[in-house]
Amino acid sequence: MNNLRRVVRDPLVIAALIAIALVVAGGIVSPGFASPDQIVNMLRVASFLGLIAIGQTLVVLSGGEGIDLSVGTVATLGAILASRTMAGDNAMLIPGVLLALVVAAAIGVTNGLGIVFLKIPPFVMTLGMLGVVSGLILVVTGGVADGRAAPALVHLVNGRLFFGIPGILIVWAALAVLVTLLLRRTTFGRQLYATGAGREAARLSGVPVNRVLITTYTLSSVFAALGGIAMVGYSQQVFLNLANDLTLPSIAAVIIGGTLVAGGVGGYLGSAIGAIVLTVLTSLLTTLSMPEWARIVVQGAVLIALLAVYGRQRRLRS
Amino acid sequence: MNESSPLVRLRDVHKRYGGVRALQGATLSAVGGEVHGLLGPNGSGKSTLGKVLAGSVRPDRADIAIAGSAVQIGSPRAAAKLGVSAVYQQLSLVEELSVSHNLVLGQEPGRVGFLSDRAAKAKARPILERLGPALGDVQADQPVRDLTPGQQQLVEIGKALLREPRILILDEATASLHRDQVQVVFDVVRELKEDGVCVLFVSHRLDEIMELCDRATILRSGETVAETVIDTVSPEEIVRLMVGDVQTVEREQEEPAEGPVRLAVRELSGKGLSDVAFEARAGEIVGLGGLQGQGQSELLSALFGATANSGSVSVDGRPVRLASPRSAAARGIALVPGDRGSQGTLPARPILENLTVASMRKRASFGFLRAARERAASQRMVDELSIKVGGLAEPVSSLSGGNAQKVVFGKWLLNEPDVILLDDPTKGVDIGAKSEIYRIIRGLARAGTTVIINSSEDRELVTLCDRVLVMFEGDIRAEIRGSEITEERLVQAALRIGEGTHGETTAESAT
Repeated sequence: MNNLRRVVRDPLVIAALIAIALVVAGGIVSPGFASPDQIVNMLRVASFLGLIAIGQTLVVLSGGEGIDLSVGTVATLGAILASRTMAGDNAMLIPGVLLALVVAAAIGVTNGLGIVFLKIPPFVMTLGMLGVVSGLILVVTGGVADGRAAPALVHLVNGRLFFGIPGILIVWAALAVLVTLLLRRTTFGRQLYATGAGREAARLSGVPVNRVLITTYTLSSVFAALGGIAMVGYSQQVFLNLANDLTLPSIAAVIIGGTLVAGGVGGYLGSAIGAIVLTVLTSLLTTLSMPEWARIVVQGAVLIALLAVYGRQRRLRS
Repeated sequence: MNESSPLVRLRDVHKRYGGVRALQGATLSAVGGEVHGLLGPNGSGKSTLGKVLAGSVRPDRADIAIAGSAVQIGSPRAAAKLGVSAVYQQLSLVEELSVSHNLVLGQEPGRVGFLSDRAAKAKARPILERLGPALGDVQADQPVRDLTPGQQQLVEIGKALLREPRILILDEATASLHRDQVQVVFDVVRELKEDGVCVLFVSHRLDEIMELCDRATILRSGETVAETVIDTVSPEEIVRLMVGDVQTVEREQEEPAEGPVRLAVRELSGKGLSDVAFEARAGEIVGLGGLQGQGQSELLSALFGATANSGSVSVDGRPVRLASPRSAAARGIALVPGDRGSQGTLPARPILENLTVASMRKRASFGFLRAARERAASQRMVDELSIKVGGLAEPVSSLSGGNAQKVVFGKWLLNEPDVILLDDPTKGVDIGAKSEIYRIIRGLARAGTTVIINSSEDRELVTLCDRVLVMFEGDIRAEIRGSEITEERLVQAALRIGEGTHGETTAESAT
């Protein structure tokens, strides 16, 4: 009985139940919403947010008011660099992806260095970086986005590789497993949790706190760029603000997934479920032909309500 | 003196911090027009008693009467209403504000919420004039940030004076002052006494107590053990009263460590430390004695590379670069820090991760951990140190203080340290766990580890140490060895050291 209660109170379980409830509700309201095709499609859209939320999860776990506000624009920049390089040609797929990831890594390292050595709060550092990257996008594109995704990338995202499952979902699942292993089974993961749970105690236990933080912010930008590249595979054409709107949802997904805002407790599986919840919610509200403003209000309200529920069970200690 | 209606009367004051009884039935009674000393060894509860009166510590139980009527003091504000002001060694000044604004802080003159600079200055002027000889060239509109520590302390005292208290508590308020400045403060205190104010004077400088106070209340382990008229006792008698007729603490009589020199420290300087030098042998337990806050914790942090410092440290003859805790740990140095919650443990993380965090790299291959190895290592520590845990996956925050501290020990034992630094390792730990921690410490020494221990309890140093280094103002000033280590010797050494050098080491320009 007690065990059952504990399971039901686990943020992960709550979030998963909400996702299922939303799908069922959608199926009742609008036949076809819960069809396998539609579900696969929603998961596909969720994967972009899910990839970006990988990095955001690591950043929030690292504590010290960890947050990365630059992920949306970094994802857009990554998509632009990759698609301009490939320009619809499969041969340039790998160079395009590599270029995007390397530039993203450089941005992430800069975030990390600023936070660690200049002691700039993460909120401010990544907000500033958001501005810098937006400017970079204008410089790179000259105001006109003209990149096109390589056919192989489009196929990976939009096609159905195995038994009707899109390749991007397999990539997402594989990365989810890898990140969970990284967090639970490597020294880096343990050091990240330690840094988030108590920075001073971690430092006094010989954890290389600075190195951990810089690595974390670097990974955040790299996963953001990966999410952006996946997105351009979906839209095929690149836009100047392709993934900009995913920053706040990526933070929301982490919080819905039950990762402690103060850092040090949580994991990626929850964030992945959080990304699915947010995506299903959005498409349900769209299906109900709610106006844009109402969708935004509902999403915000759901986030606050969930935080209130989680907060009841455990204090958000810093 | 009118003993029937004292101005201040505290009776039956009790205060617990977790498992530690800071005050257990302390009493204090002082009249208007006297300077009343509050004395006691480290951890005797004298500061806590002062803070109960000042409203900044809430007692569990207390019977307080001021001018004969029973009162409750729930906050510093309530205390201020009753005419109680307090000055501590920790300052409560706003660095960016000017001297005069700091002086009137909380009672700013002005109209309907608007401040008047001119009125503030006028209000502050008499106080500044009174403290003038000690303040030197300080201007009323100068930001407090530009003042020397001594001058800031004087502003803090001025702030208390401006409230025209009936009862003034000075808790180590003269510690950062130069001798001439102390004399000015003493003059002010004597004037207050003439005006019928009751001054409670807490100081670790015995000579100051002897010079200034009329009577003194002496505390030991949270209880009042004596109240004396200062003129009738000698300093030696006061020390004896502070220490008490303790049954000699059982010292584990082992042969003094004759191992090779393991830790050698030369010219170590840094925050709160000046030119510290000492050596310690393998298997030796070396205590850091003296009054609290004389650089003991700072010395341990510096040896662990946790704070910036200069000097040279070597372990087994090989120099150690004190760049970071990480490099110190790599050279076999370990630290059990003073604050278990924020420095020793990761409260939200599982016991297993807390135990393995410092040593996991040794067991990992290419950054990957083996779950079985990690579990075996932490289980070994749980068994060896008999840590009472529900399960290794439970968070450390679920453990009692003593068991959490054992986890901190276990974390470092897995690293097999050559030198272990202990900063007040049994603070807030119950008696049972305390003796088990002593067992762990002795076991370490027997295995050849050099132990350096700071303690807020003199008794602990007597119980454990082969040698005690007595610290004062960031330096080692005396050394007590073997059977000479007694509580009385420790208190005496701590109190006496300051006398000769008073004011010289904190010299600053006061004119």
